[in-house]
Amino acid sequence: MLRLDYHNVLIHSVLTERFSGAPPVSIDQTVSDFDGVTFHISTPEAKTKILVSLQIRCFQDLQRYGADEVLRREYGPYVVPPEPGYDFSILIDLENLPAEQEARDELAMKVALLKRNAMAAPFEQAYQEYYQLKQEAAKFTSEEAPQGVREGGEVKAIHYREEEAIYVKASHDRITVIFSTIFREETDRVFGKVFIQEFVDARRRAIQNAPQVLFRNDPPLELQGVPGVKNTGTGEIGYVTFVLFPRHLTPQRMPIVISQIQTFRDYFHYHIKASKAYIHSRMRRRTADFLQVLRRARPDSEEKERKTASGRTFKVAG
Amino acid sequence: MASQTPAVVMDNGTGFSKLGFAGNDSPSFVFPTAIATKGPAAGATSGSGRPAVAQKPSFLTGGAGPTGHLSAKRGTEDLDFFIGDEAIAAAAGPGYGLHYPIRHGQIENWDHMERFWSHSIFKYLRVEPEDHYFLLTEPPLNPPENRENTAEIFFESFNCAGLYIAVQAVLALAASWTSSKVTDRSLTGTVIDSGDGVTHVIPVAEGYVIGSSIKSIPIAGRDITYFVQSLLRDRGEPDSSLKTAQEIKEEYCYVCPDIVNEFAKYDRDRSRFLKHVVTQPGGRQVTVDVGYERFLAPEIFFNPEIYSSDFLTPLPVVVDGVIQSSPIDVRRGLYKNIVLSGGSTLYKDFGRRLQRDIKQLVDARIRQSEMRSGGAKSGGLEVQVVTHKRQRHGPWFGGSLLGSTPEFRSYCHTKAEYQEYGPGIVRRFALLGGPGGS
Repeated sequence: MLRLDYHNVLIHSVLTERFSGAPPVSIDQTVSDFDGVTFHISTPEAKTKILVSLQIRCFQDLQRYGADEVLRREYGPYVVPPEPGYDFSILIDLENLPAEQEARDELAMKVALLKRNAMAAPFEQAYQEYYQLKQEAAKFTSEEAPQGVREGGEVKAIHYREEEAIYVKASHDRITVIFSTIFREETDRVFGKVFIQEFVDARRRAIQNAPQVLFRNDPPLELQGVPGVKNTGTGEIGYVTFVLFPRHLTPQRMPIVISQIQTFRDYFHYHIKASKAYIHSRMRRRTADFLQVLRRARPDSEEKERKTASGRTFKVAG
Repeated sequence: MASQTPAVVMDNGTGFSKLGFAGNDSPSFVFPTAIATKGPAAGATSGSGRPAVAQKPSFLTGGAGPTGHLSAKRGTEDLDFFIGDEAIAAAAGPGYGLHYPIRHGQIENWDHMERFWSHSIFKYLRVEPEDHYFLLTEPPLNPPENRENTAEIFFESFNCAGLYIAVQAVLALAASWTSSKVTDRSLTGTVIDSGDGVTHVIPVAEGYVIGSSIKSIPIAGRDITYFVQSLLRDRGEPDSSLKTAQEIKEEYCYVCPDIVNEFAKYDRDRSRFLKHVVTQPGGRQVTVDVGYERFLAPEIFFNPEIYSSDFLTPLPVVVDGVIQSSPIDVRRGLYKNIVLSGGSTLYKDFGRRLQRDIKQLVDARIRQSEMRSGGAKSGGLEVQVVTHKRQRHGPWFGGSLLGSTPEFRSYCHTKAEYQEYGPGIVRRFALLGGPGGS
């Protein structure tokens, strides 16, 4: 498994099972997802009505950037007022499902992508801004463009974790996505640096159309003046910048680009952990080899000649 | 944020792993504890505790031996694996070998287990381990070194926020608190844990397992399936595959109070014989008769001689023996709270029959000692077998119950404590749910 899935496996499997016509049962499960997201799948009214609620810590940020529209577009008829304690809810009536199997599968997948869709809103908005700015910028040459067009849109901050955030900024020729990541662990920081270096070098080596990646320990210039950005100077926080170029910004590629960039942090941490596992397995292998060597290395039994008082000799092993 | 996330409860058994979040009433995922990796199945590594070592001392070749080809790989082969049901599907095709990292309840292959965990966390549960506390289970008599290895993996590889390792039997006792028969929420009792491979009888006093008295019985779910299969074969049924036998076992079997009477009932009343319809691959449907095996199959717990020729002690006698070999001051508590756990204890009336048989043994002994003492009267002894709704995933449910209590986190060892004291810290855990707890 190189890449993480975008959807929540549990929601998907629960819904697929329900949709396949299995007898309705009552469900009440609280499920976590990455980044402190909590789902609650329940059947509060009847066994045939499944309520899926989502709680996400940056929901206010997301709402500000148009999450409501995106979610309404995706889940239109299923949206219900949010369950208390949660930010967003959808209700699926098992007696009112699409008839064809394919449509049902699609619906199950769509619900499983709830988190992805909620988080997609700021990115989609950035795409729209980029299209606008591009149109406007086309009217000018680069020197005489007015201040607003050259600078691009405002920086959208999504504080999706306690101390970490994603910043998205659209310009007329690119979209910049900045992740601030925090490493509490010295080892993780080293692993992280190695990984990021690979990302940075990827473009230089072979993959010409990869987005440009920059890594630094102090806030990049794009984030100047954005509230909440601190420069600790200790190197604990790293800033990873992705620059998406026009080739990534076509409407056809939008969904996949958004999905991939969202999972970047989890992908990154997953791989740090996977490489630790790999190194551990090599360490175990090496230990086993050394033990084998030690086991073979028995001291040779030396034969010593000894003499008795009467002058006779005999040989003693060891 | 870390204060709100539910704890992750993982019960990795020999056959199946149960994963989920504390507070839920059933595990989110139940799948085989299997991992499929590139290359042939592990003939060499199975059974031995360590990965197989090279024939020659290979410290010069960088650990490259027959199976030590890891270092030669520079790609992402170590990420190319599947776990659970996907592993079994992948192993059916070419290129992948299937491994079971846990044998007899204990982790044998740490490489595979580490990767199994990594996949369970990132692919199935989808959590960032740094944000969650983890509750893991271990079999009784797990060596402390295994605990340390587990802690190393969880703290060093996954940086998990906190870790608690509980004994399965104790969690099974906690799961029985949901039964209406249990009033005092004590952690004293006898756990009968019958899974697929083996049945254990484990006495627990005040949350601590009495290791010297544990007995295991080589009869469990798989044997019942084989027994049903052999009965089907003897009758020459049209379909006697293992799968059919298992379906019949799970759907129709129950425990009867007395075999002889039950045979007579069946002969009087033909409606007790049932038909089971099997759809064979290819869509053909066959009907299999289901007869005496309905009550004969679970009977092998009570009369093992009808199935096995080398193990002949009935389960009630084993349970009685286990309690009699425990310290005398806890025996009353052990008789009073006999808790069932595991899939093979789900037969209807299993608990009732067990309770009756143990009671008979106990009463007979009391009568004898009354006679010997010449006139003294015993106050009697209460025997109670507790059945409850969560038996199937008993240990997991107990973990979920305890993991959702507010004080759970204070019982865990955190990453900071681990770094301060080293892996040895996990040799001891404060007793969760014990006296002073909830």
